[in-house]
Amino acid sequence: MNAPLYHLRDVTQTHGGRVVLDVPRLDIPAGAIVGITGPNGSGKTTLLRILAFLDRPAGGAVRFQGAATLGRERELRRRVTLMVQNPYLLRRSVRGNVAYGLKVRNVGNIREKTDRALAAVGLDPGRFADRARHELSGGEAQRVALAARLAFEPTVLLLDEPTASLDGESAALVRQAALDARDRLGTSLVVVSHDLGWLTEVSDAVLAMENGRIAGNTP
Amino acid sequence: MDYILNGLWQALGLLVSGDPQTYSAIQVTAITSLLAIVASLGLGVVPGFLLGYADFPGKRAVRTFVDSMLSFPTVVIGLLVYAFISRRGPLGDMGLLYTVPGMVIGLTILGLPIIVALTASAVEHLDARLKPTLLTLGASPWQIVTTTLWETRFGIMLAAMAAFGRVVSEVGIAMIVGGNIKWHTRTITTAIALETSKGEFAMGIALGLVLMVVAFAVNITVSAFRRVSEK
Repeated sequence: MNAPLYHLRDVTQTHGGRVVLDVPRLDIPAGAIVGITGPNGSGKTTLLRILAFLDRPAGGAVRFQGAATLGRERELRRRVTLMVQNPYLLRRSVRGNVAYGLKVRNVGNIREKTDRALAAVGLDPGRFADRARHELSGGEAQRVALAARLAFEPTVLLLDEPTASLDGESAALVRQAALDARDRLGTSLVVVSHDLGWLTEVSDAVLAMENGRIAGNTP
Repeated sequence: MDYILNGLWQALGLLVSGDPQTYSAIQVTAITSLLAIVASLGLGVVPGFLLGYADFPGKRAVRTFVDSMLSFPTVVIGLLVYAFISRRGPLGDMGLLYTVPGMVIGLTILGLPIIVALTASAVEHLDARLKPTLLTLGASPWQIVTTTLWETRFGIMLAAMAAFGRVVSEVGIAMIVGGNIKWHTRTITTAIALETSKGEFAMGIALGLVLMVVAFAVNITVSAFRRVSEK
């Protein structure tokens, strides 16, 4: 039997001595779409940051593709990426932003890959590639940030409220681009969203979080 | 009032006719200021970046010291440099007194705290989302540092322009260390001081006009960089 993509055991996180996350067990299969929902402060983002290897848990163990992750966070961040609700774009062109993840990995064919990633999020490379970040609307900036992550074809794409501040059209394009990445590249998706309708429709499982715990799991 | 207008008229004549003395002072000022800014950038960007980026014991004290150096009187810097490079000083054998390199050393000491302090401020004011973004894009620690430095580029240019504005218009260091030697170390500011004391307003006004144009250009450039860096 294949090991799950993520295997969390007795994972806890604390902020200022207070336990803000307590997950006795969580398995996320490879290639799955997992939704996470819950009220503000329920631990969704804390869990996502642990899954993104940005933070180490205060207690417990995280295994990724069957292997322990402690001390391997830097290497794993090359395969796992996170996009937040209000992402930061670098002070360079749209193409420079999308190419950044490729450059730090020394990947070739950067132009072709950035064009493909921009097209995947519904941005015409001919029109948008040379624009500066201040020449983008909020929705376009969000899509550029997503393209920057799709360009290096991550194993896992973690999305924290990816459509919360977007208009309907941009939100639909972001959702579609994420789903296409799963279908085309086998990228696993973990999506935090208040949009329960969408999560239920596309996810293999939806976790409901409350007070730092997984209160429910809808397969 | 007549003598001021007369001086202004003669000043324009000196500038238009390419008066060698006037242009010698302009040339010395440009050379010493530019070399001092290049040296200040070379010496100050990395410490400024570390001061803004890293946390270390005594950081606040270092920051306070650097900020205090911003208002260090130029005549005191001139005096200290003079003490070191004069014949009796520890660097006296190098023959730097009353030379352009000696002036550049003094002006570099003047510009350095500006570069360090403003670079540190620029790094401190970077968006807090930058580092997590770079981490999630897979950057290594070294790539994070170099990218952060590149994100600060407009702030560093702003620091360079601010330092240039201070260096180009100072008089104490140029006078004490340079000695105001005609054709060699006479700068715009020392020439203005000398010519005015001699009652020669024309050259003083001519050089004053050049200095005002430089200051105006520096301010416009600083404003432009500030607008770009805020985007």
